[in-house]
Amino acid sequence: MKKPRIGVFVCHCGINISATVDVEKVKEYAKTLDGVAVSKDYKYMCSDVGANLIKESIKKDKLTSVVVACCSPRMHEHTFQKVASDGGLNPYTVEIANIREQCSWVHDDKKVATEKAKKLVEAAVAKARLLEPLITSSIEVTPNALVIGGGIAGIQAALEIAENGHKVYLVERTPTLGGRMAQLDKTFPTLDCSSCILTPRMTEVADHPNIELLAYSEVEDIKGSIGNFTVKIRKKARFVDADKCTGCGDCAENCRLKGRIIDEFNMGLNKRSAIYLPFPQAVPLIYTIDPNHCLMLTTGRCGKYPLCVEACEADAIDFNQKDEVITVDVGAIVVATGFNLLDPSIIPEYGYTHSPNVITTLEMERLINSAGPTKGEIQLLDTKEKPKSITYILCVGSRDETVCSWCCRIGCMTALKHLYLIREKLPDAEINLCYIDIRSYGKGYEEFYRTARNLNINLFRGRPSEVRPTKEGIIINVFDTITNKLFEIKTDMVVLVPAVTAREDAVELARKLKISTSSDGFYLEGHPKLKPMDTATGGIFLAGFCQGAKDIQDTVAHASGAASRALTILSKKELEAETYIAVVDEELCSGCGICISVCPYQAIELITEDDKKRAKVNEALCMGCGACTAACPSGAMQQRGFKDKEILSMIEVLSK
Amino acid sequence: MGILDLTSMGEPQVDVKREIIGQLERLQDEIPEYCYQCAKCTSGCEAHRLLELEPHRIIALLKRGLIDEMVNSDIIWTCMSCFKCWERCPQKIAPVEILFLLKNYAVALGKQIPGNYTAALQSVLSKGLIQDVKTISTRTGETKSRRDVGLPEITKPVDPVKFQALISKMAVEKI
Repeated sequence: MKKPRIGVFVCHCGINISATVDVEKVKEYAKTLDGVAVSKDYKYMCSDVGANLIKESIKKDKLTSVVVACCSPRMHEHTFQKVASDGGLNPYTVEIANIREQCSWVHDDKKVATEKAKKLVEAAVAKARLLEPLITSSIEVTPNALVIGGGIAGIQAALEIAENGHKVYLVERTPTLGGRMAQLDKTFPTLDCSSCILTPRMTEVADHPNIELLAYSEVEDIKGSIGNFTVKIRKKARFVDADKCTGCGDCAENCRLKGRIIDEFNMGLNKRSAIYLPFPQAVPLIYTIDPNHCLMLTTGRCGKYPLCVEACEADAIDFNQKDEVITVDVGAIVVATGFNLLDPSIIPEYGYTHSPNVITTLEMERLINSAGPTKGEIQLLDTKEKPKSITYILCVGSRDETVCSWCCRIGCMTALKHLYLIREKLPDAEINLCYIDIRSYGKGYEEFYRTARNLNINLFRGRPSEVRPTKEGIIINVFDTITNKLFEIKTDMVVLVPAVTAREDAVELARKLKISTSSDGFYLEGHPKLKPMDTATGGIFLAGFCQGAKDIQDTVAHASGAASRALTILSKKELEAETYIAVVDEELCSGCGICISVCPYQAIELITEDDKKRAKVNEALCMGCGACTAACPSGAMQQRGFKDKEILSMIEVLSK
Repeated sequence: MGILDLTSMGEPQVDVKREIIGQLERLQDEIPEYCYQCAKCTSGCEAHRLLELEPHRIIALLKRGLIDEMVNSDIIWTCMSCFKCWERCPQKIAPVEILFLLKNYAVALGKQIPGNYTAALQSVLSKGLIQDVKTISTRTGETKSRRDVGLPEITKPVDPVKFQALISKMAVEKI
């Protein structure tokens, strides 16, 4: 190896660094270090002028590696790697000494900070002396996409990707597309009929030549990495032949358990059969047998014979159908798994379990809907009478440190929408709304709030302490901070606006995808401002509510963004492989296999060569996490760019 | 079903509220239902600092139908009729007009006008005006005279006795 000639470039970062670190002294100190050929400083090293300074120096001073003392490598390592590359060096011969985030920003004493900056530069120089040029290999991209979740986010993302000419596998857990949006009556603030704008999109998915719709299916396992994922999908048995079923519904009409099984789509407000279609516009239009309730499937017999089989003229029912597991290859994944509403019984004082007339917004949504269990009649759930007084309570569990600390972002507008729709149906009813703040932040939302204020609604600014069902009606005490008075509201129907949470199995899917969740349980984005659709795992993107609370408008925008991010991968023939991957020193490796057990990406295998067992790293699968290098007992496993000798040389300097 | 103010055991006077809002609608387009309690009116109220009038709270009580509470209090009489609340309201509501209507309603119920405000009554009886306003301050901070804004100078009634009789007749007959 030829003698290193290192160039050190110290950045002022305006005054971000130079106000606390004596840049001049750092530059001069660097000149005294072994292997340093040249040391320079400049106000903004990341500017064009700074970049040219480095490029020219590489040529003029015949540099073999570059140390830039500046901000975090997360900020500008890539910038300077490109500068080095433009200057004729291998991009991986650049080492960053972080003297901003790790020095000038966290210290006040200029003398101490300058000494620390000198050490950081010296450590970087020590590593730079040992740096080896690295070659990045490329991997072929599978041009297909997987979209997980068939709500409006998944539908939007799938259609956008498919429109761009890529094959999309759309996996939906329930028997139909539609998700939460299919359960809504109208959408705020325009009061568009939700299913009227949603079902055409569902049909587009079903008819799209590039989309393979896998409804009533679940993702079992995901292997591989960006550009090349292999996904196992379980297509659950519907016990109905999809090719034969016409969706006529004769089976459900004749089911022996008709009207006896809780209807999840209608939030349990009515009962369905054991063979069912969640709602009439379901896509695909195929009936499904509920395996947890069907008498044939649970007990093996259904009276003398199953009535559904007799009713089905298409002969579509098949009790012998089995789950089918298929494997698909995709280059990118969009996660669009949506959300749950909090079960309000977690706040017992709000009486959700004490009275049938204390309901949630989603239950009210089904009551208002003309296709719902009451055909759009708003009625009390016990007496079936029209309510004379309805009271809404906002933020049930939201903005509450003991339940969900976040704002649900849809509750205020959902409640205002309901007030509008209820006022249309019940012009004389007393309508009350207890709120903390009304957050009407979107386009047209504030205008809608203004309209709602003139609907003869009683607004109480305060959180009720309890909801007390009595013989005379439901009693709520609320202190109204606007009139500074304690009010007693006697009402006959209470609608709770619950907090929103991640899906109950969000963590399980996160584990399969190797993505993270934030403290609220929703999936963690790459950056809250700049990478809202990305995850920390390459090739996996987030769409809609699964990343955090969103209304339909924001969900659709987010999903289009996620599709666009996925397309940046799918549209390429090849991708650069991860550079900082693990390599095996064949001499040292004893073939113990510990590395295999710790590798989260299944990137290592044990091979036998010349009667000797040793580990082999699959360069396309290795993500460079470093788990194997830490676990290897012999030091045979090394990470490129972070080899033991390189790191030890830095520690040696810093511990002097 | 219904709402009860546990602080005063008062119940909303829905009919009175409807009547007052009906009268307001004849005076202007915007109605107090639109009030979202930003309290800009109270923040700038001339009567608030000395006399503790809170126009936003007047509106909140009206919206709630708790009207007796207001007409039984002297507070509605403290308004100086500067009209700033109306001019500056982001929802185009006129608390000052609401206060006029509440005062009228109080008189109609036979409530006593507080002693301090009878001087204003005397002024109306003798001149037809509560205040003898000669200059005003505009929203942009300029001071304008009556002539600047195209108004005639204030004149006194030619026959004060006849004038007073006429005003009294109007008050009694509620013209």
